[in-house]
Amino acid sequence: MTPVSGERARHLIYALLGLGTAAGLLIHVRQPVVVTPPTRSLRDSIQALPRNKLVILSIGWDVGTRGENGPQTEALIEDFFRSKIKFAIFSFASPPGPTMAEQIADRLARKHHKTYGEDWVNWGYRTGGVPMLMGLAKNIPRIVPQDLYHTPISKIPVMRGIRDVHDIAMVIEITGSASLDPWVGFWQGVYGTKLGYAPTGVMVPEAFPYLHAGQITGLQKGLVGAAEYERLVGVRGDATRRMTALSYDHVLVIALIILGNWLAIRAARRRQEPEGQAP
Amino acid sequence: MTPFYVIAIGALCTLGIYSILYRENPVFRFFEHVFIGVAAGYGFYFIITNVLHPLWWTPLVREGKWYWAFPFLIGAMFYLIYSRRLVWMARLVMVSFMGLFAGSQFKGFITGYVPWIRSSFQPVLGPKPPYVQFTNLAMFITLITVMSYFFFSISHKNRTVTGSARVGRWLLMLAFGAIFGSTVMGRMALFIDRVAFLLFDFLRLPR
Repeated sequence: MTPVSGERARHLIYALLGLGTAAGLLIHVRQPVVVTPPTRSLRDSIQALPRNKLVILSIGWDVGTRGENGPQTEALIEDFFRSKIKFAIFSFASPPGPTMAEQIADRLARKHHKTYGEDWVNWGYRTGGVPMLMGLAKNIPRIVPQDLYHTPISKIPVMRGIRDVHDIAMVIEITGSASLDPWVGFWQGVYGTKLGYAPTGVMVPEAFPYLHAGQITGLQKGLVGAAEYERLVGVRGDATRRMTALSYDHVLVIALIILGNWLAIRAARRRQEPEGQAP
Repeated sequence: MTPFYVIAIGALCTLGIYSILYRENPVFRFFEHVFIGVAAGYGFYFIITNVLHPLWWTPLVREGKWYWAFPFLIGAMFYLIYSRRLVWMARLVMVSFMGLFAGSQFKGFITGYVPWIRSSFQPVLGPKPPYVQFTNLAMFITLITVMSYFFFSISHKNRTVTGSARVGRWLLMLAFGAIFGSTVMGRMALFIDRVAFLLFDFLRLPR
């Protein structure tokens, strides 16, 4: 192939991808969403939680991975509101994460008639990494003296009686970066705290050893995991709506891989043929 | 509700960044620099308003907790690396922090990775359903063959070791394929998010 035709082929691929994605989003085709065991396990462990304790929704994502982590967060908060599970939005890995998650919680709260401070709280971002998490396990009000809106924690109803790691029912890390290890090493490994994990698709293969070792109780595998979770909750959210576009894109990529390999093999065979015999 | 002009700016930035798909151009360069500048500026603003001011400045100045001056002094010692005479003070805090970090990482390694080693010992035979036995056997073979691929204390001229290492390499390739497949899915999901933003938020097409 000449460089010009290569550039044209590249433009064609991008155009097809854009059109396929737009078509997938605009033309609604209901697809079967098969719930896999890791997602079911995450939902089951959340449903089994005691309602008098708090769940920490640890936000390790920002605008860069919002496309995947956003729907994951939405599916989980939807389930919390429906199941009357109280939660705290928190982050030690992404400064804008709690604000972005708060937007989702705020939107869903209006739908479910939930109130900030009574049904959920936003601890905001805390710097300090591992030492901060170790301190958080021992004394939550000391590490988080005020919430995202600078309200003292002692004045927030949902924080009543929440003192340390023993008042936390579960931690769910939703992330686009490697921010699970501190929770595993310093909360789950030390205190036996239940952990859930919602990474981006890129990180899913690396998450299975944690699941296999029992360090996490369940897993939401990227956007597909979010769609599976929505199916379990019984809601048709962003993740489910985007499955058609994702399927179109995957089919396109597979078709292009096959086409590319076929062209490469054909070109290699032509090069091997003696001159003058080529058709 | 987000004002439309904010959404329009977002759409303009998205299209400007995606213009790289056509070819390298000044529009893409402009929006790339805007993105880097905004991200750096936001990070700086956030650290000042959400970390340094409420967690350090307020306790130190307004609440009279004088001992919060020590973190500033310790932090400032890092910058003595530029002084030949006082560089030892910078080294002092650096080695202290390295020791603290290494100590905490050691604890994290024990609690984080020892369960992985423990969970890799799974019974191949026994009163388990056939699919569990098959999974355990597959894991056992994968573990041994991949480890033999990375085991360099024995010469790989031995036929058994060579064969095992070759199987390990094939299994590694399968794992890399799975990782790459997940990567494609992740990247597509991010692209879908941007297209959804352009279609539904900017162009306001019905969902």
